[in-house]
Amino acid sequence: MSGFLPLALDALNYTSVLLLVSIGLVIVFGMMQVINLAHGEFFLVGAYAVLVLQGLGVPFWLTLPLAFAAGGLLGLVCDAAILRFIYHRPADTILATWGLSLAIRQAIVIIFGPSSQQVVAPLTEPVNVFGISYSSYRLAIIAIAIAVAAVVFAVLYKTAFGLAARAAMANRPMAQCLGINTRRLDRVTFSLGAALAGFSGAVMAPLMSVDPQMGMGFVLPAFLSILVGGVGSPAGAIWGSVVIGGSTTAAASIWTPVIAQIIVFSLSIAIIRFLPAGLSGLRRK
Amino acid sequence: MLEIEGLISGYGKGASVLKGIDLKAAKGDRLAIMGRNGMGKTLLAKTIMGLVRPSAGKVKFDGIDITGQHAHSVSNMGMAYVPQGREIFGDFTVLENLRMGVIGKPGLTLDLDRIYGWFPILKERERQRAGTMSGGQMQQLAIGRALIGRPKLLLLDEPSEGIQPSIVHEIAEKLRMICAEEGLTVIVIEQNFDMVEILAERVAFIENGKITGEVPVVQLAADPDLITRHMGL
Repeated sequence: MSGFLPLALDALNYTSVLLLVSIGLVIVFGMMQVINLAHGEFFLVGAYAVLVLQGLGVPFWLTLPLAFAAGGLLGLVCDAAILRFIYHRPADTILATWGLSLAIRQAIVIIFGPSSQQVVAPLTEPVNVFGISYSSYRLAIIAIAIAVAAVVFAVLYKTAFGLAARAAMANRPMAQCLGINTRRLDRVTFSLGAALAGFSGAVMAPLMSVDPQMGMGFVLPAFLSILVGGVGSPAGAIWGSVVIGGSTTAAASIWTPVIAQIIVFSLSIAIIRFLPAGLSGLRRK
Repeated sequence: MLEIEGLISGYGKGASVLKGIDLKAAKGDRLAIMGRNGMGKTLLAKTIMGLVRPSAGKVKFDGIDITGQHAHSVSNMGMAYVPQGREIFGDFTVLENLRMGVIGKPGLTLDLDRIYGWFPILKERERQRAGTMSGGQMQQLAIGRALIGRPKLLLLDEPSEGIQPSIVHEIAEKLRMICAEEGLTVIVIEQNFDMVEILAERVAFIENGKITGEVPVVQLAADPDLITRHMGL
């Protein structure tokens, strides 16, 4: 038990982080069929937003909504300037978002330099969880991820916007025929995805060094999570994050992180091979 | 209400399936469009609705030129579309499907009682996942979802497809009654003469992308050879 609990908390923590990053990805991909390769850079913008705002004396907890806004605003600009012209060409959006990711990352290198920097963690004292000492900020991340997922799901399943968004996800032409302006919905969706990425970056910033490459380590497992969970369903982000986050942490605790990566990739390939619609496809069977 | 002039349209560039469609429907008209498979009936519906952009010609709805307009604008002007295969949102509940009929239209409220009055089964199944219903029930839902948006014109594509004959008859009777009550204009694309006979007043035949003739339904009922001639059945 004493060995299992820290492992379970670590797995839960990593799952929460993946969920935070992948929820924006799954919304954008599920609704717009856009594979947003710049998601990691929106994450980066959020982390740097914390760095800048903390430098200005803004308290950490206040930087989170501001990082959300910064990601969202940048998403809005990218949509208006680039993506809205190519949404109907999914393959081109891959290239465009890849270009966008390079441009954002280089802009950050130019402005902030290539070296890593630190932000101040808001919670530093470990807390006692059932007899073991655990990072209080990591526990806060779990709570934040659950709260964000709850809010995103409430928006998707309890509001008119969410209903329209899910309808566009399921059958875009039919949603249009019912009077839904899918173009406007795309703009809001892309910005929301970018805002969530920015928020994730801000949440993760105190746990790692803030540098121009920090987004990449999360985006690949987040993509894997939504593929395993099922790209057609927002709930897929949850199932995928649980599988990828849980298996990565468990395997890494037994073997090395490299072997853990091999196991997780193999598991993902097996799941996608037998369930092409991901784990959320099971419910529809 | 709807005026179509010289409409040329196709899937993909340069491939014209509709080769100059001329069609008119006045307010309150109940027009059926009949034709064999592959003649461009569904493409015509999609082009009217704004899902496919025509390469030439004009579509006027309620006096306004809607050629090339986006489907959501056409819908908001008062045209409702019940597509072939119904296209209800199978993972949504019946109620959510009905809500979809109004959320894109500013100022409209969800008048469920009106729809449930016509289709009581939808009230019974309100919380059920729409994809689990029978074909006939799904068709009633697709029609209810279209009507809840208070359209001026209802465009139906093969509403009888995959539905047992007794239910086809029932839906046709119900639609005819609703049209009379609401003063609704209806354009129905159909191959099933039972549906056409009950619902429509006149029939336009489409062949090789052109309208080849128009006759009143009563004439068609009296002379079945007309159908054979126009549809090669």
